[in-house]
Amino acid sequence: MKKRILMVTMVFLLLPALAYAKVANTIDELVQMYDDSKCKECHPQVYEEWQQSYHAKAVVNSLKGMRNFYAIGVPKEWERKLTKTEVLKCLDCHAPAVRYASEELAVKIAKMIVEAKDTKDEARREELKKELGKLNVGCLSCHNIKALSISRGLLGDPEPGTIYTSHMIISPAHKTEPVNTLDKSLFCAQCHGRYTAPDGEQIMCNTLSGSYYNNYVSRGGAETCQDCHMKKKNRGHRFPGGHDLEIVKEGIGFEAEIQGVRHTVGKWIPRAIIRVALENKAGHRIPDG
Amino acid sequence: MVLEVTAKDNKGKVYKEVKSYYPIGIDLDGYMRYGAWQIKEMIDLTLQPKTIQNEQVVFEFDKDVKSADVTVNVYYYISGKKGDRIYTASKQLSFE
Repeated sequence: MKKRILMVTMVFLLLPALAYAKVANTIDELVQMYDDSKCKECHPQVYEEWQQSYHAKAVVNSLKGMRNFYAIGVPKEWERKLTKTEVLKCLDCHAPAVRYASEELAVKIAKMIVEAKDTKDEARREELKKELGKLNVGCLSCHNIKALSISRGLLGDPEPGTIYTSHMIISPAHKTEPVNTLDKSLFCAQCHGRYTAPDGEQIMCNTLSGSYYNNYVSRGGAETCQDCHMKKKNRGHRFPGGHDLEIVKEGIGFEAEIQGVRHTVGKWIPRAIIRVALENKAGHRIPDG
Repeated sequence: MVLEVTAKDNKGKVYKEVKSYYPIGIDLDGYMRYGAWQIKEMIDLTLQPKTIQNEQVVFEFDKDVKSADVTVNVYYYISGKKGDRIYTASKQLSFE
């Protein structure tokens, strides 16, 4: 019990001290600034769910696409120098903490991504993936960094050290601020939809939010992303999606009728007639990125 | 996502029809692209929410065919390389 009180006290002391204003020069400094392992002390179940999620591996699971942008898109197609501005076009969603990396660190991370994909040296690749695995869509990515972004004009920027939540449970371990942004589909759409970079570039990694608003809500759909991907079946912070066959099957209805007939009077040609109905029961197009 | 309908008649002849559902990313010049930074438009060949996609397939067999095994499979591809069969249905048809 004493140990738990000590841990909670330490978390309480550490979180407000997060130096968001400074920039990190190493991955470890960045990880320390946004250390999700502190969350585990009081929220072990949520943390365990999150560890199973693709948010927890949002960088190492997407190396190919990011590598192509950093190695081909920026230098060869756009003929531009790789800068933090370009790096964030992927990592602002795949690892939002990189916003607080120095220019040099952001570019270094991008180069590590390229090397992790390109190197033939397996040991080096694993070493890079281990290091890059420290970057992800962590607790603070949603509960602080991007918590207010969908209504920045009204709500302003997140306060360093504050944990923004969608419920009213106030924790003694950190400053807690209930907000009504986190349970909105638009909150997820920040990244799970067409992304507009600060310089205006449109990145179409996936377009779920477009089909959600234009083809689901417009047809009377009322469930949010969080309803299906978090609340139903206590999916919680696993956020299962296209990688999870259970939720995939839940989203697609299937019926098949197979009939045989002797067709064409007099000739009696054998035919098979197959009718299939596929129902999209999800709140967005299937499939999507 | 892929709908695959196959039939194999009693003589061993195979009949197959495949229908794919997917979005196509298009760049500024109208070419199909995979890079998220290249895609500025899309052609939507996916299943739309709150709708039922009805498909019909007809296989015409040789006149002397006595029977055929028909199978319907639905595959979900999380990537171009990894597809999982999520639904299947099959039936043996007799023409005797």
